[in-house]
Amino acid sequence: MNFNDYESVWKRQDLPVGAGANLSALKETFETKRRKSAATLLARDLLEGLAGVLVSGVFAYVWWHIGREGWPMVFAIALVLGVSGFFARERLRVHRTRLGAEAPLLAKVEADIAELRHQRRLLLNVWSWYLLPLAAAIAIVCFTLARILMIQAPPGFFTALREHPAALLWIVLYFVVVVPLCFWGVWAMNRRAVRKQLDPRIAELEKLHADLLSTD
Amino acid sequence: MSQTSSHDSLFTAWLEDYRGIIVKVTRSFAHSPADAAELEQELQLQLWISLKSYGGEAKPSTWIYRVCLNTALTWRRSMARREKHLDPTADVALVAAESVSPADRAGEREMLEKLYAAIQALPDFDRALVLLSLDELPYREIAEITGLTENHVGVALTRARKRLAALLKGVTDEL
Repeated sequence: MNFNDYESVWKRQDLPVGAGANLSALKETFETKRRKSAATLLARDLLEGLAGVLVSGVFAYVWWHIGREGWPMVFAIALVLGVSGFFARERLRVHRTRLGAEAPLLAKVEADIAELRHQRRLLLNVWSWYLLPLAAAIAIVCFTLARILMIQAPPGFFTALREHPAALLWIVLYFVVVVPLCFWGVWAMNRRAVRKQLDPRIAELEKLHADLLSTD
Repeated sequence: MSQTSSHDSLFTAWLEDYRGIIVKVTRSFAHSPADAAELEQELQLQLWISLKSYGGEAKPSTWIYRVCLNTALTWRRSMARREKHLDPTADVALVAAESVSPADRAGEREMLEKLYAAIQALPDFDRALVLLSLDELPYREIAEITGLTENHVGVALTRARKRLAALLKGVTDEL
């Protein structure tokens, strides 16, 4: 039995005839997947985009409430909207640059590797485009409010604070421990996603890419 | 004729003419009948989706091979992530035999099962190349599908066929 025998068997193999696909079932599957994917994307966009808009709205309301003295809030609003804008820009970029399944194998693998590497860079540098702007925005809001409080505190406010030092302690603890812990959590989650998900996928694709181009 | 109905009728016509490609890719990449059903549906789905961007720039068979192989390679990677301990030869005979020959061609059926088993044991890209080669596509068309140069196709194909022959020798020795 030699290789040619196998080739002959390959040519003679029985293959099912006819379309073999139920078009309406296929359309239904496609619609279900499309709806599911659209719902996921909408939820993500709402979370990423609208969350920024909502937070900016809250900051704007606080600014409006405290008046002209709250002008530094504009920087906090700009920073939060900047993060939302970055998410939106990324979404558009992925939509624009994604290659369809009809692309040549090599081009598709290279595009997928490039996209995963880009995502890896984003996740590893999450502090620069997400955590740092948000931390700066929170700091600006805190300092603005503290400054306003110093100027416009209601009579007896500081006396009450001195009588209840625990309240002050909780506020300080929140900003010194809880907020940094949340930021660290986001940073660690992103590092973990890189290690557990992106790196193995990049390695798989790079191996496939090397196989494609290997001449050994 | 509306755009949707012409899209639908082209898709149906392609399936009538080229279903063999989908079936062969499915058998080469899926390890069990359940996986085969899932992959075949995914291939049909991706083909239907990609049809919207088909402008006649490539032969239908080239286009279909590209969509099917890209989809199968992506599907394989996601399957491997879902099932870390996939047995590469599990149920392969079942997949290959499922819709193949009647009883009087049992010998051929067995050879075909061995051939599919050997193809499934190849690295992913070699698998794709061997599939294209067994279907006797010219180097030019394989190059169009893979994105490699024709010279490179020749080199890669020689290597893939050697690997396949070695695997088949091992299989044949067991017979």
